[in-house]
Amino acid sequence: MRTHITRGLAAMSLTALAVAVVTGCSSTSPEPADGELSGTLQILVSSSAGSDAAFKEVNAAFTKKYPDVKIEFSAVPNENFNSTRSSRLTAGNVDVTLAQPRDVPAFAQGVSASDDNVAADAGLFVDLTDEAFMKNFTPTVLEATSYNGKQFTVPTGLSYYSGVYYNKAIFEELGLEVPHTWSEFKAVASALQEGGVTPLGIGGKDSWPAGLAMLAAVQGLYPTADDKTALATGLWDNSLTLTEGTQLEVLERVKSLYDIAQPNFAGVGYDAIPSGFAAGDFAMTIDGTWNQTTIDSAVGGAFDYGYFPLPASEDAADNATLAGKVELRLAAASNASNKAAALAYLEFFSEPDVYATFVESTGFAPAQPDIAASEFLDGIAEYTKTFSPAWDTIWVSNQDAGPAAGFPFNYPAIAPLGTSTVEQAAQEAQDAWSAAF
Amino acid sequence: MSTYPFSGRKGLRISVGAGASVLAVFALVPAVAVFVISFTDIRGLPGIPIQFVGFENYERFFSAAKLGYNLNALQNTLVYAVASTVVINVFALGIAVLLNGRLRGRTFTRALVFLPTILGVTVIGLIWSLFFNPSAGPAATIWSWFGADSAFFGDPALALSLVIFVQIWAGLGVAVVIYLAGLQAIPEELYEAAALDGADGWKRLRLVTIPLLAPSVTANVLLAIVGSLQSYQLAYVLTGPNNPATQLLSLAIFAQAFGGSTTSGMGQSQGYAATISVIQFFIVGIASLLVMWYLRRREARL
Repeated sequence: MRTHITRGLAAMSLTALAVAVVTGCSSTSPEPADGELSGTLQILVSSSAGSDAAFKEVNAAFTKKYPDVKIEFSAVPNENFNSTRSSRLTAGNVDVTLAQPRDVPAFAQGVSASDDNVAADAGLFVDLTDEAFMKNFTPTVLEATSYNGKQFTVPTGLSYYSGVYYNKAIFEELGLEVPHTWSEFKAVASALQEGGVTPLGIGGKDSWPAGLAMLAAVQGLYPTADDKTALATGLWDNSLTLTEGTQLEVLERVKSLYDIAQPNFAGVGYDAIPSGFAAGDFAMTIDGTWNQTTIDSAVGGAFDYGYFPLPASEDAADNATLAGKVELRLAAASNASNKAAALAYLEFFSEPDVYATFVESTGFAPAQPDIAASEFLDGIAEYTKTFSPAWDTIWVSNQDAGPAAGFPFNYPAIAPLGTSTVEQAAQEAQDAWSAAF
Repeated sequence: MSTYPFSGRKGLRISVGAGASVLAVFALVPAVAVFVISFTDIRGLPGIPIQFVGFENYERFFSAAKLGYNLNALQNTLVYAVASTVVINVFALGIAVLLNGRLRGRTFTRALVFLPTILGVTVIGLIWSLFFNPSAGPAATIWSWFGADSAFFGDPALALSLVIFVQIWAGLGVAVVIYLAGLQAIPEELYEAAALDGADGWKRLRLVTIPLLAPSVTANVLLAIVGSLQSYQLAYVLTGPNNPATQLLSLAIFAQAFGGSTTSGMGQSQGYAATISVIQFFIVGIASLLVMWYLRRREARL
């Protein structure tokens, strides 16, 4: 009997081994011949209409220059990007992807590091610091994207996202001017409502577009990078709370914005906003410049539209800048099967004329000097003269805190997105935050 | 011991061994591995040292900061499981009894009821997102007949009920098929005998059909409970990964392990996600065992 069991087990483990061998076999990696690039180049990015089209143009141009390289381009939705990248980095079947390692600010020293920092530390991304093509980029942008004094990523451009797209035709019809203070903004909203127009469109179903309202409110109330750093520091050392003063005002602004948004906006998706704006369902929408090309094609020249910083502050001077961030940052995977092609791709991407066509299609603000920005971006140049980093690029969340303190301004809890009042939402966030210390 | 259909023990051993090892590689090893990694700080990236952290992940799950969120997820999961199980079974039984009779267009109706089962989750998500689109969807039109309007999946008071509704719609087909198979196994003579004894339609259903369907009830209830306790896909495609109103335990696992939220800056932590799934495993296991024990006892009594 025992021998039967032993034999059975032996057979089982043999088969298991066979299965493991079969499934574990991976494709062979083509080694590039000297000088000549060949093989497959696998690129993985997060998807958005504008950047997908722009990457495809770059890819086509790259294949023209290197006809032996076959590009496999994958653009996956934002929410699936992290998991897709993890599994493909693990499997070693991605050459160029996105990453955003960043220096941990002083206030958050010692907290558990972000995935991208850990990955950069572990050497998963190629160090690009000494690559000649990095010199094509604006030094201040590279400063913002450096990590431990090194460059791991190629910036693709800048976006601003504390502003409001507005329908100039409706504004003109009702005799309205671009508002510069919070009171003026509220007056504009009332005038629109009196004129029978819904003031604001928000894609609340996806939650984060409502977060843009929060980020825009923070931008007006904490206009400079120093203001925001002081706020983050104060929250981390618990000398500031979320339930009082300007911090509470942020959520009050958010609530006021919810109040002037289209009915049932909590059930409307982000992708329905451009068409709603184009149809005149609402006169304004808070959105990033990354969506300008999409909005532009939705409007299709039917009316003129503009973009102004959401004036969250009563002081017009505080409302004069747009908050921004460095957009998608390209990195080369160290374990790439086709590293030579990956580096050639980054170099090709960085060539000023290639890069110029890329920013033209995406609508990103250029991260290289001497490249013309789009007409739209030129139109808002007065708000972007000094680069003001957005709140979410400064804030570091605490893994030990509850989810209500993630941003840490608890905009998703405020009705109608959630079920709370401003005070309740703030208290919930404060409790979730304090619990971590 | 018979070795049919094999001529000797060798063939038997190889085929059973193959089956068992597939099971081991794809079911047993991952299950044990999840349990092991729930005690580590593993992240979903290669080349990063993995450390054993003891019960740290479990402490985090029950910590003051996370407990409220997790209890909310647990409560939603239980509401989801109980509501969808009860409604699916009641409806499926009724529909199966109707479709088992001599109804006109019976085959067509059966196909219609089964149709949602063959659709993928994303297709279902798309259909119902469009249906419940608050600005232009058919549901908004129906609501407007009564002078009402709603944000549907965006309304925190309504979202979970709507997801449960879609789950019922999608899960009904399989339950009906199982009940139909059970019904067709009930001998016609029993009904004839019951009719001779003077039992009317309702009595025949209560005293003949339902007792003899007991094994199908057990199968359906268990399938619905296990399916709904583990389900997150519908909530994910209909309301997104971070909506507290529809936060389910399995969705929390998904969000933790695969970083659904990039804006919150929450890093991926597959160790913590494994911890949630171990806890969920115990909840699903205990619930299923209790229900199975109860239904089996009832089956034996009938």
